[in-house]
Amino acid sequence: MKFLASRLTIGNMAIGAMVIILALLPVAGVPREWLPYVFLFLLYLAMANMWNLLAGYSGLISLCAPAFLGIAGYALAIGTWVSIPWWLGIIGGAILAGIFAILISLPIFRLSGVYFAIGTLVVPEALRIVFLLWRPVGGELHGGGAGYMIKGLVDVQMSTIYWLALGTAIASAVIMRIVLKSKLGLGLAAIRDNERAAANSGVNTLRIKVYSFLISAVITGLAGAVFYVYQGYLEPVSTFNVKWTMTILLATVIGGLRTEGGPIIGTIIIVFLYFLLARYAGYSLLIQGVIVIIIMLLSPQGIVGIMRNTRLYQSLSQLANRQLMAFKTE
Amino acid sequence: MPEETLLKVSNIDVFHGSFQALWDVSLSVKPAEIVAIIGANASGKSTLLNTISGLLHPAKGSIEFEGRNISALDPFQIVTTGISQIPEGRRVFPNMSVLDNLIIGSYNREARSKREQNLGMVYELFPILRERKNQLAKTLSGGEQQMLALGRGLMSDPKLLLLDEMSLGLAPIVINDLYKALREIREKGITILFVEQNVRRSLGEADRAYIMQMGRVVLSGDAAKLREEEEVKKAYFGV
Amino acid sequence: MEVLAGLPTPLVMGILLGGLYALLALGLSVVFGVMKLVNIAHGDLVILGSYIAFACMTYLGMDPIISLVIGIPALFGIGLFIQQFLMGRAFSLSAEAPLIIAFGIALVIQNTNQIIWTPLSRGLTTPYSLSSFHLGPYQFPVSYLLAFIAAVVVMLALREFLRRTYLGKAINAASEDRVAAQLMGINTKMIYGFAFAIAMISAGIAGVFLGMTFPFTPTSGMQFLIIAFGVVIIGGLGSMLGTFLGGLIFGLVQTLAGFFFGPAIQMLSIYVIVLVILAVRPKGLFGR
Repeated sequence: MKFLASRLTIGNMAIGAMVIILALLPVAGVPREWLPYVFLFLLYLAMANMWNLLAGYSGLISLCAPAFLGIAGYALAIGTWVSIPWWLGIIGGAILAGIFAILISLPIFRLSGVYFAIGTLVVPEALRIVFLLWRPVGGELHGGGAGYMIKGLVDVQMSTIYWLALGTAIASAVIMRIVLKSKLGLGLAAIRDNERAAANSGVNTLRIKVYSFLISAVITGLAGAVFYVYQGYLEPVSTFNVKWTMTILLATVIGGLRTEGGPIIGTIIIVFLYFLLARYAGYSLLIQGVIVIIIMLLSPQGIVGIMRNTRLYQSLSQLANRQLMAFKTE
Repeated sequence: MPEETLLKVSNIDVFHGSFQALWDVSLSVKPAEIVAIIGANASGKSTLLNTISGLLHPAKGSIEFEGRNISALDPFQIVTTGISQIPEGRRVFPNMSVLDNLIIGSYNREARSKREQNLGMVYELFPILRERKNQLAKTLSGGEQQMLALGRGLMSDPKLLLLDEMSLGLAPIVINDLYKALREIREKGITILFVEQNVRRSLGEADRAYIMQMGRVVLSGDAAKLREEEEVKKAYFGV
Repeated sequence: MEVLAGLPTPLVMGILLGGLYALLALGLSVVFGVMKLVNIAHGDLVILGSYIAFACMTYLGMDPIISLVIGIPALFGIGLFIQQFLMGRAFSLSAEAPLIIAFGIALVIQNTNQIIWTPLSRGLTTPYSLSSFHLGPYQFPVSYLLAFIAAVVVMLALREFLRRTYLGKAINAASEDRVAAQLMGINTKMIYGFAFAIAMISAGIAGVFLGMTFPFTPTSGMQFLIIAFGVVIIGGLGSMLGTFLGGLIFGLVQTLAGFFFGPAIQMLSIYVIVLVILAVRPKGLFGR
């Protein structure tokens, strides 16, 4: 009982409530049009968390996300063509994305800083061309393109897919929490502070970075596979596209790099803007670009950073903690 | 006018972030003097020079050069007033040639017109630089790099030369040559303020000296007089 | 052998194309190699140059090369602004800040172009840009030749500027040791702004010749960024001549790969080369 009580902070209770609400969404009779947006929000959240893990906490600006989600998606799609059921394909896809990450770790982690960024930028571009040319299963597609339909999805319900997305998002958040509180998280903090000093203190910097990279690959792959189950088909140009990276970068930076709540707030804003300004995509992205610049210059911790600095937030949290202390000592 | 003060530092406090490095430090330098600032590591000597050069700014107190307050100026502006620093560790530009290093020394407007003249003077002081003028600075020995750093500083046509630990890591023969050059530089009317750890040598070369410890000036005066009190100083900080 | 008979075309095209690629990369080499600044927005700034030339062509009836009279000052000013107010401050913030801010700048430029010009692809077509010239029995596009000549001119101009002028030397000094440079009387803040602005001029010139050779859209920038980075990395950061040769290598790799393996493989081989060079020798073949 004591263990549970200590975990019962205001923050955790609020999060728990949110999760329950989100889980009930498909069956609670909300308008069907909302679901895809929440669905997208959940997947982007998972990917943003992973990007935060890399760029925010590990100091690795990775532009590689499209590669992971694409590999998982293609694994899923090709799998369904050889009679592998889609739900197995999702798991397989995520695992394959992880294996891919380990494979490219060897050359990629010889680079650092901007070289690393460019390296990770090139990988999805190369994969795009590979998948434009390589057709392992299925015949020629009419009208060009090199995409695949995903087979065997006829009986799949939107709510199932939705809950998969919710699961992915929760997994990403839980993993973030675990990583940050673990030895891995400590090592990451040390590397970010002063990599050379960390290495000299016996921190295996390479291994830690690879772990982060691997984790982000698996979860991003998972999110990608779930997305493609929803979409039902995939093709190289939109899959291995820097637009994915753009979105999750925007979400994370605007929300707050290197904060736990940043990706959540950022993704809400991004999806909201996408929803609201669908017809004015150009203006929307333009504004987001400007916001990113302003945030990096003025408030690198993003909106979370701004929130933390307000008197309101500080007094509210003090109040909440005092109440909880009183409750606990009764 | 020999009695006028060239540089006057008055009661400055200087901070590195929240750490106070200098406490109420004052000193003055007259034209054509050679003044030494002596102290062990972390006594604040480099901080003092860097503050004069504008890389740091005093939180309290003032710095005046030729009667003008320079405490708020940017480093590149300080150079134009006539103060040139030869930084600790030489810091020559490694991938530029010796000649380019010297030329860049005369970057500021006033010095450009006197470039050839000053170049000639530098080559006269340090003939080895003329020999090696097309070599990359990083291929020079420690002593040669120090000469290059000195020459580079002279190219800005300074009135006051600041030297930060000139003899660090150099052989005694080289150090002798460098001090000889300093004396010749003073003959040309350039004032010298140098920072050193070696007490004996510094007092031998300087007219006056300030002794610093932990960010404060603890002793100052004529070098000759301070030399006599050396026994006391040896006990003071075991140098 | 038929292969030999066909070889001169990709060889010459590769060299000419390489000139264009070098032009693309020279500005980046200054900014990245000399100033150690990561400019992810470089590709988009080049495309901005293309669009500025396009505007001059469409509304003022100017020939694109002549329009550089307007384009160069415009990009110079934009470059100064970006360095002074954005990138300059980014450095002191954190390691990621310059990268992310550059990304933001890229987004802003891309979408501004998209809003003004629509995603339709454009080209800077003039009567001479579509014609060819003859070299023996072979024909080559004039636009490629012009780009090559421009590349040589810009490369030499930048090289001499960096080597011989006070400002050029100051840029080199400031990039080697910022503090020491300040002690020489160099206003490093202003110098960096200047260097960035000069790199922008080269980007603007590249934009014009790029636009005359290939069609472009608001999102073309990314692809050219990768090429420019590849060239800079092969050729060596900060070396103008090295970047030029790197461009030639790149152009040749692309055309020869296309010749032997087919057009689809062209870009792939470039990406592979970039990855290999990154992994093996990030300092490039000629870098310091």
